[in-house]
Amino acid sequence: MPQFFFNKRLIMLLVSIIVLVALIGFSLREREELTWPEQFIKDSTSWVQSVVSRPANYIAGLVENLQDLQNTYQENKELKKRVDDMARLEAKVYSLEKENEELQEILDKKESLADYEPIQAVRIARSPERWNELIIINKGASNGIEKNMAVITSKGLIGKIKSTTPFSATVQLISSIDPTNRISAILQADKPLYGTIEGYDKKNELLLLKGLPYNAEIEKGQNVVTTGMGGIFPKDLPIGKVVKVVPDQFGLNQTAYIKPEANLYDLEHVMVVKKSMISVDIEESLEDSEGEEEGN
Amino acid sequence: MIRFLLPALFAFLFILESLFVELLPAELFNSDRILVPHFLMAGILFLTAYLSPKHGILYGLIFGLLFDIVYTEIIGIYLFMFPFIAYLAANMMRILQTNILIVSILSLLGIALLEVGVYELMLLIKITDLDFSTYVKIRLVPTLILNLAFIILAAYPFKKQFENAADRLRND
Repeated sequence: MPQFFFNKRLIMLLVSIIVLVALIGFSLREREELTWPEQFIKDSTSWVQSVVSRPANYIAGLVENLQDLQNTYQENKELKKRVDDMARLEAKVYSLEKENEELQEILDKKESLADYEPIQAVRIARSPERWNELIIINKGASNGIEKNMAVITSKGLIGKIKSTTPFSATVQLISSIDPTNRISAILQADKPLYGTIEGYDKKNELLLLKGLPYNAEIEKGQNVVTTGMGGIFPKDLPIGKVVKVVPDQFGLNQTAYIKPEANLYDLEHVMVVKKSMISVDIEESLEDSEGEEEGN
Repeated sequence: MIRFLLPALFAFLFILESLFVELLPAELFNSDRILVPHFLMAGILFLTAYLSPKHGILYGLIFGLLFDIVYTEIIGIYLFMFPFIAYLAANMMRILQTNILIVSILSLLGIALLEVGVYELMLLIKITDLDFSTYVKIRLVPTLILNLAFIILAAYPFKKQFENAADRLRND
């Protein structure tokens, strides 16, 4: 029996399990930024990856283009129809934008929650293990990217920045399950409904919008956008469309299943969104005298 | 120059996994299956069998750490799993003969063990909430089929490379 306990291999295994638990605990806690060895390794690998990934993506793009060529005729027909509509829409958008500007001027409102500056970036790697859905992009802290910024494609929200290094950044896609990853969202029904995006149905690839009132009438195909009230994401970034609605566990709320607008797999070019309006830091504003705030 | 061949090969496998996930057509991904490449694990297990367990475990440690830092941001999971499975495989190899078919089957078993082990860990730290039967259906089986295809393609080149490396090691 004593020999069993003094077995060198067993002790090695136990020690390594302890180290494993310690390391996992260390990396799972809320970290403001990565440690410098991690940053260094991530930066050097991201450089190598971008060297390899660019030509590979280029070749894959060529193949895809050839495939697209087959459908050109059909697509062209449909697009022509849309173009007719475009001109009308453009005129309408122009006049609406102008009107909006004028009205905001009257109200003396200079900033809006919806304003943002996009930073263009290219994906250079994607996590192959696919528990955490992460992609790595080629812009980092030196390009002004910070933790928790929203990441979008031309179609809609895809995720947020999980961590940054000087020359690359890691994006956590909305499809990864993270209990801390909640997005405040509006369902654009006749009367806007507020809820939070929490969770992802991996099997059907749908997002879950929770906390909708139990008596609200929700239809399929209604749009869901961000509220801009979480303090991180700007307002009105499209998230997706309602696919189905179910009552939640206790029947007090409803949960809507949302099909993400953006394709979460085919992401080559993404935009990191920098919110223009600086959100108020609650602790700081509490310390400040309250008189200043009343003026606004 | 030839000394860097092995590290370069593994670095290539490391990047290949990410490239594979990036470039595989979206239709394959958008269906209800999840395919996970474990090319690195297959490489490490072949290395363990054909070169030496010491090399296998060392490469497992280095690339496990790299994998954790770059791809998962949770340090420890692959850092532990890669060398651990390489060690188990090395023990198995002592009783089995080094035959390309047996090594291939062993690496597939190793990959299955890795997948299930990582799933259990992820369940433990609440990164996923998939139940086991769904997990097997949408992730484990497609993943094993994908990696079996990779092993069939790569088994012979791996064997040749690592046997050459073993020769070089003996001659030094």
